Amino acid sequence: MKSWLKGLVYGDDIVGALVIFLALLILFFSLMTPHFWSSNNFYAIIGNIPAMAIVCLGLMYVVLIGDLDLSLGSILGFTAILAVFFFKVMHFPLWLNLISCVFVGGLFGALNGVIVTKIGINSIITTLGTMAIIRGLAFWIATDVEAMQIGRITDPSFLNFARYYFPEESRLIPITLVYIALLYGVSFLFLNHTSFGRKIYAVGANEATARLAGINVKRVKLVCYIIAGMLSAFGGLVLVAQLGLGEAQTGQNMILEVVTAVVLGGVLLTGGKGRLTGVLVAVLILGVIRNGMVHLEQVTDISFYWRDVAKGVILLLAIGLYSVRKSFNAKRLRTRQ
Amino acid sequence: MKVIGKKITTNTSLFLFLGFLIILFSFTSEHFLSSYNITSLLTNISYSGIAAIVLTLVMISRGLDISIGGVIGLTTVVVSALYSQSDPLPIWLILTIGLGTGAVVGLINGWCITALDMDPIITTLGAMAITRGLAYVISDSQSILMFEETTDFISNGVFFNIPIPIILFMLTALICGVVLHKSKFGRSIYAIGANEVSASLSGISVNKTKMILYVFTGMAASISGIILLGQTSVGMPQHGIGAELEVITAVLLGGTALSGGKGTIYGTIAGVLILGVLFNGLTISGVRYVHLQIFQGLLLLVAVATYEIKTRNEVAR
Repeated sequence: MKSWLKGLVYGDDIVGALVIFLALLILFFSLMTPHFWSSNNFYAIIGNIPAMAIVCLGLMYVVLIGDLDLSLGSILGFTAILAVFFFKVMHFPLWLNLISCVFVGGLFGALNGVIVTKIGINSIITTLGTMAIIRGLAFWIATDVEAMQIGRITDPSFLNFARYYFPEESRLIPITLVYIALLYGVSFLFLNHTSFGRKIYAVGANEATARLAGINVKRVKLVCYIIAGMLSAFGGLVLVAQLGLGEAQTGQNMILEVVTAVVLGGVLLTGGKGRLTGVLVAVLILGVIRNGMVHLEQVTDISFYWRDVAKGVILLLAIGLYSVRKSFNAKRLRTRQ
Repeated sequence: MKVIGKKITTNTSLFLFLGFLIILFSFTSEHFLSSYNITSLLTNISYSGIAAIVLTLVMISRGLDISIGGVIGLTTVVVSALYSQSDPLPIWLILTIGLGTGAVVGLINGWCITALDMDPIITTLGAMAITRGLAYVISDSQSILMFEETTDFISNGVFFNIPIPIILFMLTALICGVVLHKSKFGRSIYAIGANEVSASLSGISVNKTKMILYVFTGMAASISGIILLGQTSVGMPQHGIGAELEVITAVLLGGTALSGGKGTIYGTIAGVLILGVLFNGLTISGVRYVHLQIFQGLLLLVAVATYEIKTRNEVAR
């Protein structure tokens, strides 16, 4: 018991702590509100997280190499508009729409990556700039193309991209859950069981060592940015199909939540460390808070908007706890020597 | 060419670029150089300029504060909510509380960054969410009207024909300029930004200095918020969304390095003016708002890329 507790406090693995936190949150909301604990509501929570989960996965790749990508929310928004454009104006079938959107997302990712690796601008500033540019482009398309004035899509062939269930009649497993499982599963294999995946961790842990070990650092970084862009585009498409609506504002305030989830999930901002399960549990935690606060507002007069405050506090706590633990560990090492 | 490149300093080239923009826009629009437009341009930039000036000090010390927009929103809501009570406090007290809002946020930011050794970007990202969230909670997502003489005077009043916001901007620039370039405290800011460990070893109290800087940034954001409140006569949680991008762009444009230890107040003033002139000129020449956002992002990237390449050339030489 004691060593288990010690592991939670000092250890590197925070997934256990996150799962406990998630369980406590679910317990809290179930006790406080009448309708939180129901299968309908669990489907609602799961229905709310796919785009978040997918973009978080994208950001994780960038954070693993020690960078930050703030433009992912804008890429998602641009894709949302682009998907509507392809569908309404170009009349693309779904598969072509998907491929084109993911390709454009990859292009934006490549743009970020090239600026960061070739010119050498800090990733935060780069993506702060591209965030504004890509969002501007999205508004441009949304306002200048006449068919885009109403971004609503009602064609079931498109909507089923995110609204389909397996099996179809009993509506047991939503297709978005399959996407999440697939993307995280493939990422797990890619990051942990391919040499390129290990190179990503190596570059993040120590760029100079990685270079000396013969890794093409710039190429690894570029690939991470491209993956992040492609995943965000995919997330955008999922969101459009879920909502039946694509707007230029889509995902405007998303990046803050995405960064929070990735950091909360235990991915080191300095790079080189982080696990997919941690990120996934963190996404669930934020999803439960968002959903639970709505329920809480109905039974108490606690404003729904406290969730934004809670989000910020959790982010600060996660980072603060990590900092404190780091200095603890450093002290322990010193006393041992 | 090489000689020219050596002789022209960053600041001169910035002001040359500013001059070029002014000449350009005076051709594209006949109204650009009218006294009315110049005054409104300067009044508009004062609001973000005050925050930019103070943020320059933080960024020279190798910090960053992206909670500025959130603090602006929160301040407008706090002040207008206090004023709309049935029995409001005296206005000087309300404005002091407004300033205190920013100071408290800055204090928390500073404490997390110094005592807990947290990353400034992530810390202030969290603070941004908290301040924005609190603004929504307090206002219940409503706009709160506020018609009051003092705030109206701060935003729309004139003193010897100069609008008050411009005076506040110039005062901030003057005070920060003197502190940064002429005082011991200012030198210690540069020292911390260049190398925190050696600054601490040479007897500078790094944590105290950083703390003061974050508190001042918070207060500057609150001043911006109060000006915005007076200009719009409404306090709402959406005020100041995107302000951090504008402010950081202005500072970086002015030649302050993100890696710390480098930057001047003159540079930031030039950066603020360039952004203001560019936006005003493009708007007045008929460019739409959606395109302005693209220009803003491009400008940020081009500015930082230029400095990056320039530094690399200097190192190579």
